[in-house]
Amino acid sequence: MSPIEPGAAAKLRLSHVGKKFQPGGAAPTIAVDDFTLDIAQGEFLVIVGPSGCGKTTVLNMLAGLDHPSEGSVALDGREITGPGPARGVMFQDYALFPWQTVRGNIGFGLKHGAAGNGLSSEARARRVQDCIDLVGLNGAEDKYPHQLSGGMRQRVALARLVANEPEVLLMDEPLAALDAQTRLILQDELLRIWGQDRPPHARRTAVFITHAIDEAVFLADRIAVMTTRPGRLKALIDVPLPRPRNDATRASSEFQGLSQHIWSLIRDEAYRATVT
Amino acid sequence: MNGAARRMRHGGWRVNGAAVRAARGLALPVALLVLWQVWGTALHNVRMPVPTHVVTAAIDLVGSGELPLAILQSLSRVFMGFAVAAVIGVPLGLLMGSFASVERNVDPLVESFRPIAAIAILPLAILWLGTGTSAAVMIVAYAAFFPIVINTVAGAKGVNATLLRAAATMGLPRLRTIRTVVVPAALPAIGVGLRIAMGVAWTAIVAAELAVGAKAGGGGSGGIGQMMFVFYAYSIELNRIIVCMIAVGLVALVLDRLLRAAMRLSMPWTAS
Amino acid sequence: MPQARLRGALPVLRYVRTMAVFFIVWAIVARWTGNAILLPSPLAVFGALVDLARDLELFLHAGISFGRMLVSIAVGALLAIPLGLAMGLSRTLDQLVDPLIEILRPISGIAWIPLALFIFGIGNALPVFIMTYAGFFPILLGTIAGVRGVDRRLIDAARTMGVPQRTIVTRVVVPAALPSLMVALRLGVASSWTAVVAAELIGAPSGLGYAVEWYRELLATPQVMSFIAMIGVLGYLCDLGVRALARGFTPWARDTRAGA
Repeated sequence: MSPIEPGAAAKLRLSHVGKKFQPGGAAPTIAVDDFTLDIAQGEFLVIVGPSGCGKTTVLNMLAGLDHPSEGSVALDGREITGPGPARGVMFQDYALFPWQTVRGNIGFGLKHGAAGNGLSSEARARRVQDCIDLVGLNGAEDKYPHQLSGGMRQRVALARLVANEPEVLLMDEPLAALDAQTRLILQDELLRIWGQDRPPHARRTAVFITHAIDEAVFLADRIAVMTTRPGRLKALIDVPLPRPRNDATRASSEFQGLSQHIWSLIRDEAYRATVT
Repeated sequence: MNGAARRMRHGGWRVNGAAVRAARGLALPVALLVLWQVWGTALHNVRMPVPTHVVTAAIDLVGSGELPLAILQSLSRVFMGFAVAAVIGVPLGLLMGSFASVERNVDPLVESFRPIAAIAILPLAILWLGTGTSAAVMIVAYAAFFPIVINTVAGAKGVNATLLRAAATMGLPRLRTIRTVVVPAALPAIGVGLRIAMGVAWTAIVAAELAVGAKAGGGGSGGIGQMMFVFYAYSIELNRIIVCMIAVGLVALVLDRLLRAAMRLSMPWTAS
Repeated sequence: MPQARLRGALPVLRYVRTMAVFFIVWAIVARWTGNAILLPSPLAVFGALVDLARDLELFLHAGISFGRMLVSIAVGALLAIPLGLAMGLSRTLDQLVDPLIEILRPISGIAWIPLALFIFGIGNALPVFIMTYAGFFPILLGTIAGVRGVDRRLIDAARTMGVPQRTIVTRVVVPAALPSLMVALRLGVASSWTAVVAAELIGAPSGLGYAVEWYRELLATPQVMSFIAMIGVLGYLCDLGVRALARGFTPWARDTRAGA
């Protein structure tokens, strides 16, 4: 069931967004072209597409880490000019601070960033502990990232993201570096933390990037399919699978059908990506 | 920011990025030179070196052939020592990197002598070979030896094990594998070792000649190090000392660039 | 487990074996040349070493050289690290200062000795000046590289958490660059220690370099070799010291081995 109510203001709006790169005077490459998309409050939107299609560029623009060459990006109607704690980001390679323990990493944004304003140190410690409990990292609080497995590092990244209580979760292929089994487990965890057990209005907005189709179908309310470079919005697919989703969902025939449909949309793009 | 925007930033003047960078780059050195000139002339001390006098001294030394000759003398010793170090160091490094038994037996010796700088061996070299060219060459060879061996070993060890296995499955005997697979694969690392060694060798010869000059007096072996010391101890020509210092720096730069270019030419398959 | 302990002792045994072979070959060649000044026997050198250690002369000079190095590294690091941080962070500053650095760097510390002799004369100041100069450049360049090499993602992550720019510098860039800084420090110490010998040989009234030259003039080769060995040992210990420091400051970093 798509949570987009007709007429409701979009939480995130991309309007005719384009991005051009011009490395060192060489010929410009168009990473993203005329990308328009509205993302509703509480929606889990997944962007899927072949490698190099500009998905990460779109996410960077939503995060404010990059600026569009054309068009505009807005949060709650206000233009996005830079990064901020309202739009939390989870990076593909975790970007954990190697010199901080798990606890230090999770609490970093609360200690030094805007998200911690007005919080006493006890309140901060409590929130960090809540996040540790939430993602299941008890026992590893004082370890350094290099002592953790990939799956645990991803949990830390997730906890750090959630600790700052952002309105929007932006996730750039966060599960790509994990093995297939860990990935399935973390998909379940991700949905739980996002709030799939809560009513739609109590969920955070999430924008998730992946190139794994089954992952996209499992997680998303809607899927945005992108073409190869220049990246354009090829199709917008609703995923009406009921929530909460679990292993049974993965086995259902609607799941298979949707996956096949998306693959058929992407297949040509994926092929073209391997020969350019 | 694209080029148009940058041009606009500078008040509409057609000043592009490269010119700004060049101006910034020259600012500090030029300012310091001017300061030095002004302060030096104001001091009214005949001994005080001053940029204009340094320039005249440079013209003198180059014109009379003293400086080029000294540099050539030093360079010939560097090349001799460097050649000795390379001829011994590269094969040894390849053997050590390819055969664990060789490494196990030789490495303790290498690691024990590595912390002892070449210049510390100089008194020993003078004891054995006198204050002439042979001692200088020995110091240079000793100095250049370690970077060459260490980097060659690293290069030989760093050869992708899969490449070696591929060669083995094709039936190549061990030594042939070293010649045809290990050497080309390790060439970039060997090149780095040679480049570092050249820099070390040049520093070592200057130090050796300086020290010999300090002990043996003005005569004899020559070279730029000794020339510098003579200018200090006998004629107290500070301007000339500075000319020599600049020459030392320039030669070091040129040697490095030449070796880098040689590396690029001989290894077209590596990214620069 | 006695077996495990034996396995751990293997590299030490091999080291001893190789050095034993070295000393035996040395002894044979020394006996064969028969000239005690040219090549004294290992036993003679060992005897000289023991004597020098017993009347503390060995340690006196070692301490002086080591002290000079400590001062040089402290001064060099104090100058180079802040400058390196600033240059790594600010393109403008880098463009201003870098040409001067690139002009001075090829002129090795040793080339400064004659000029420095004129300015400072023979004494303590000369070796310290030369050693500071020698250590300055590796530390500076390593710091700049460390700052530039900070993973862009870490800075992005901090920005998305709303961390202000100044805090990003102190709380993200500096800790992230610390491992590279430690490597730079190691290189600086090595460079400085190499310069100590040259500087003391020519321009100091004390220290290991001076001692080597002093005994050479007396043709006392066993003593010369003893001091040379001490130079090597102390250089090795200094490197060990910096590595321990690195482990203390950066417990999260994996062991990085610097090249030659």
